[in-house]
Amino acid sequence: MTATPPVPARPAMHRSLRLRLLAGSLVWILAAVAITGVLLADLFGQHVRERVDAELHGHLDQLTALFEIAPDGTATLRMPLSDPRLSRPYAGLYWQVDGGPAGTIGLLRSRSLWDTALSVPPDTLADGEVHVHDVDGPDASRVRLMERLIRPAEQPDTAYRLIVALDTRQIHEPVEEFATLLAIALGVLALGLGAAAVLQVGIGLAPLGRMRQALGAVRDGHTRRLEGDYPREVQPLVDELNTLLAHDEAMVERARTQAGNLAHAVKTPLTILANAARNDPSELARLVDEQVGDARRQVDYHLARARAAVAVQQPGLRTPLRPVLDGLIRVMRRLHAERDLHIAMADVADTLACRGDAQDLQEILGNLLDNACKWAARQVSITAATADGQLVVHIDDDGPGLDEAQRSAVLARGVRADEHTPGSGLGLAIAHELARVYGGDLRLDISPLGGLRATLTMPSA
Amino acid sequence: MRILVVEDEPTLAGQLADALTDAGYAVDRADNGLDAHFLGDTEPFDAVVLDLGLPQMDGLTVLGKWRSAGRTMPVLILTARDDWHQKVAGIDAGADDYLTKPFHMAELLARLRALIRRAGGHASALLACGPLSLDTRSGQLTDDGRPVSLTSHEYRLLAYFMHHPGKVISRTELTEHLYAQDFDRDSNTIEVFVGRLRKKLPEGMIETVRGLGYRLVAPA
Repeated sequence: MTATPPVPARPAMHRSLRLRLLAGSLVWILAAVAITGVLLADLFGQHVRERVDAELHGHLDQLTALFEIAPDGTATLRMPLSDPRLSRPYAGLYWQVDGGPAGTIGLLRSRSLWDTALSVPPDTLADGEVHVHDVDGPDASRVRLMERLIRPAEQPDTAYRLIVALDTRQIHEPVEEFATLLAIALGVLALGLGAAAVLQVGIGLAPLGRMRQALGAVRDGHTRRLEGDYPREVQPLVDELNTLLAHDEAMVERARTQAGNLAHAVKTPLTILANAARNDPSELARLVDEQVGDARRQVDYHLARARAAVAVQQPGLRTPLRPVLDGLIRVMRRLHAERDLHIAMADVADTLACRGDAQDLQEILGNLLDNACKWAARQVSITAATADGQLVVHIDDDGPGLDEAQRSAVLARGVRADEHTPGSGLGLAIAHELARVYGGDLRLDISPLGGLRATLTMPSA
Repeated sequence: MRILVVEDEPTLAGQLADALTDAGYAVDRADNGLDAHFLGDTEPFDAVVLDLGLPQMDGLTVLGKWRSAGRTMPVLILTARDDWHQKVAGIDAGADDYLTKPFHMAELLARLRALIRRAGGHASALLACGPLSLDTRSGQLTDDGRPVSLTSHEYRLLAYFMHHPGKVISRTELTEHLYAQDFDRDSNTIEVFVGRLRKKLPEGMIETVRGLGYRLVAPA
């Protein structure tokens, strides 16, 4: 068979539809999941910060409400703030009051601040205004603090900064925890979607896989058409291919009919000419006779070549060997009935088949067998086997055989080993050429029976 | 021996008929499949030369119909196509031999002779009966080794007897096998020729079986 031209190296993406579809889906799945994750984490963080700010605001309001100036003029709290964290050292929630007549830092402080004070950045606040800052807190932490400036009615000229603060870890921890859970959940989702994509691509492309198998069956000659029902999107392609196959078959059939008609049109007049000439002793008649013989060989040879030319146009066909040999042996027994020939076929397995058209295989083997029967003294033997994916058929006879020079000459175009037997030699050349068209070969050797051994190799199917 | 030639090309059909007549056969002709089928189905031919490419009904169909109707006369297929698959189809349809155009008339005659001989169960081209020996290839009759010369009519008659030695052959059968369809069958020619042939053969070899016909027997 003709060698497949080398496929130019292309990126894997271009070669595989499956890979392209999968890569596309996976990129989109990953992008969508990642964006969702970032947005959700951000939204949650914002929510947590708002909650924290609301909580700080609550504490600040409580602090403002409990703050008073004692009759002796010192600032104090009417009662401690309710949150228990404020009395545990470094518990993460703090309050502090700055200012007073001397502008003291840490005038009043929660117990949770222990022996430290919050350093609040300098700020100018209008009365009652609330500001939020992120600053360094106690115990190497960061805190978010909220402050408010008040001027008590008792000391209208003195400003007090009331401050509450929360360790930012209390904000970050839940956000990080949420992010971790979110990542796991989204990861599972992405895996699920990926698996679904793989499954979908697999199911979606399955008809193409089936089609490839059907095509393979056609190529190997097991079927003549792509069989089975395909989805609406693929069916037109399958129909087109089937139409093409039918068209090919019809073309080959037409070509053969034409060749047959041509043979008929040319050979009948040739027969008449030759017969008319044979009854006439003149020089002209002798010339006609000779030329008719030549014309016959030319027509035979070129018809055989025409057959070989259409042979390659057909996609691979599978032809079982056994029925072809059986049919030809029946013919040989008739055609050579006058000679007491023993045509023996050693057990040719029913499974042996060659890749090619039945008529072409018949043509090749018919020519080989006919040649063997023509020259055999008593015996013709046929054996067949497969070796290395090739079908090997030996046809032996016990005739005179051919010497080495004759053997190579007889396979060459148009050369006849013996002009006295009509068409001899041509049959072997035709068989040789047809076999080569199919990627097979024909070799001539000395047979163990003493005559000629023709060894035909054809691609096995 | 009576032969049916089925060939639609008139010149070739003429050549075939001439050559066969020269060789001592009675020849009927058909130039289309329907006529061929009818003739072969109703007349007793000793052999048929059948072209495959015929108008109205192709040769293989004609042959298939004959065979399924139990007609067993030997058929030699004549065709321009020498594809082996055609030969297989021809032989499987019931043909006995196959000849590709262009052919040598001598080969056609040789093959026909062999077909007729084999159909009569004779393995050799040399037919023998008692002291008589007829070489179907050369048409030469010998009596105890001495050549006997025969006219073509006598040869036809004797050849039919030699193909069926010991068998009672009616006058009708002889007429049907020795003469083409257009021959006037009411004439006494058969009796005349049997009489002439008897004079050239050893005494008593052609017996008359009263009311039935003739029989060729080896003298005791």
